Amino acid sequence: MTNPTIELDGLEVQLGNRTILHGLTGVLKSRAIGLLGPNGAGKSTLINTLLGFHSPSKGSARMLGLDSHTSGKALRSLVGYMPENDAFISKMSGVRFVRYMAEISGLPADQAMERAHEAFVYVGLGEARYRPVGTYSLGMKQLAKLAQAIAHGPKVLILDEPTNGMDPPARKRLIELIREIREASDICLLLSSHLLRDVEETCDEVLILRDGKIASICNLVEERRANRKFLELETFGAEASFTSSLENLGCECAVFSNGRIKVVMPDTVEIREVFKVAADRGVQIRRMNHRRDSLEDIFLNAMEQTGAADGRI
Amino acid sequence: MAVYKRRYNSYTGSLTSEWSRFFVLTRYAFADLFKSRFFVLLLIFSIIPCLFFAGYIFIANNKTVQLLMQLRSADLFNVESQYFMIILTVQTQAAFLLNCWVGPVLISGDLTNGALPLFLSRPFSRADYVLGKLAVLGLLLSAVTWIPCLLLFSLQSGLASNGWVWSHLWMIVPIVLCSAIWILMLSLISLAVSAWVKLRIVATGVIFITFFIPAGFGEMFNAIMGTYWGRLLNFSYMFRLIVASGFRERSGLLGSIGWNEIPVAAAWGAMIFVCLLSLVILNARLRARETVRG
Repeated sequence: MTNPTIELDGLEVQLGNRTILHGLTGVLKSRAIGLLGPNGAGKSTLINTLLGFHSPSKGSARMLGLDSHTSGKALRSLVGYMPENDAFISKMSGVRFVRYMAEISGLPADQAMERAHEAFVYVGLGEARYRPVGTYSLGMKQLAKLAQAIAHGPKVLILDEPTNGMDPPARKRLIELIREIREASDICLLLSSHLLRDVEETCDEVLILRDGKIASICNLVEERRANRKFLELETFGAEASFTSSLENLGCECAVFSNGRIKVVMPDTVEIREVFKVAADRGVQIRRMNHRRDSLEDIFLNAMEQTGAADGRI
Repeated sequence: MAVYKRRYNSYTGSLTSEWSRFFVLTRYAFADLFKSRFFVLLLIFSIIPCLFFAGYIFIANNKTVQLLMQLRSADLFNVESQYFMIILTVQTQAAFLLNCWVGPVLISGDLTNGALPLFLSRPFSRADYVLGKLAVLGLLLSAVTWIPCLLLFSLQSGLASNGWVWSHLWMIVPIVLCSAIWILMLSLISLAVSAWVKLRIVATGVIFITFFIPAGFGEMFNAIMGTYWGRLLNFSYMFRLIVASGFRERSGLLGSIGWNEIPVAAAWGAMIFVCLLSLVILNARLRARETVRG
């Protein structure tokens, strides 16, 4: 049986006198995990704790079965980390910087050199590899950080806000790279971002944090598989008979005030059948919004909920 | 991840042993240092006195050369413990200058752009990091202190009469021990300064200040309180005291040493205390993430 990618067991982290993470408990098994939350939710603190930079004051955090506190070195030998902030040695050329980092990860000098060149070409900085990193643009620095994170061939890739400060084409290219890396190997991915699109495009499972507590853990693969379609209706007329007719078709209905109805439609039901039922029952459909449940819904829902305030799912 | 394929592949090759990885830092630091012409000149300048010392030993042991140069043995200084004490004093001062140039950039370069988390997110501890940087100064300063001293000792042993080496073998201990404490103290002070001060010129200034300002305060304390204990703040004097006691001499190149003023153990204690204080400062500064107290 393989170990879960991340296991949190009552994890509490205090920095100074402030408690940043409040007893997080949860198991994330997917290969690509997104870490979502507003600023100050504790995403970076969780990553820093997993890397062993912060010690838990209570509980534990494990990655691939290795405890971040007691087996920190073994855990970090599996990790490639791309930090959120600037992290480079400005006077070194890009390729030398990546080679240096690969050698510290344990690659022999010749292998490190080869992998550094490969990583630089792979992330699309082949032409700029002999320039000092300090002269790179913000987007290039992000790519250089990604290159140093993958050069030694880690088993877990931790990306903290990887698309920060990137223009849309560069962001798109980086997201494609991350997806490519994920698909081309058995690497596990932990991506922290406050951009829902980044997470939605690259991850299978999402851990949503709010105020240092788990607001939700959501398996995006299962959500996508469920493929549920929603109709948000604003109606006028005989609501009760309309909803019972829709339920007879196999829909699930939730009725709100002022004639607002939310309908979950099975794959077999088409929208025109809803119109037909409305016409039969003499119900006016004044507004209709047809959509699928997106990560945005899940995220907003998690942010609104207060039930998960104790940090447990 | 081959370049021509442009796709990601994980690494499955061999890895270097964990204990040896700190040396990667040392190797890269030396490669950077030797790009600087000023550093190379400074290094050569630091070793040049040893050539003069070697020449002197050669002349002192060669009657033919003395005759050719019309020198009498009485004119020459005996190559005894005091001579090696002078060599060590000169070379440790050269080491101080070399340290002032090299030390300030060792850590600040990594901290300026936040590279430290990249080191520490690998199977690489803070102790490995400090050891790697310490090895740079350790090797460099050794190359201008105890290593040339021992080479000169070997030269003298080879040129002098048979009994000399056995009667002077004890000098190896003070040469190595005194150099070791000086190198350790200089290295740790400059690493601690490098961890706090980013600009080389300022950091070099701070290193000088660390040696001269406390010494001045110490002398003020002595003058006011009528004591000698203020000299514990004069690290150079403490070192000279340790060297003088090691070589069993009461005077050296920089004047006489008053053994009775401060016990040698106190001098050792002061230097070890400075080393520990520097380690505490390094420990506070070298963190992957800063914790804001509050």
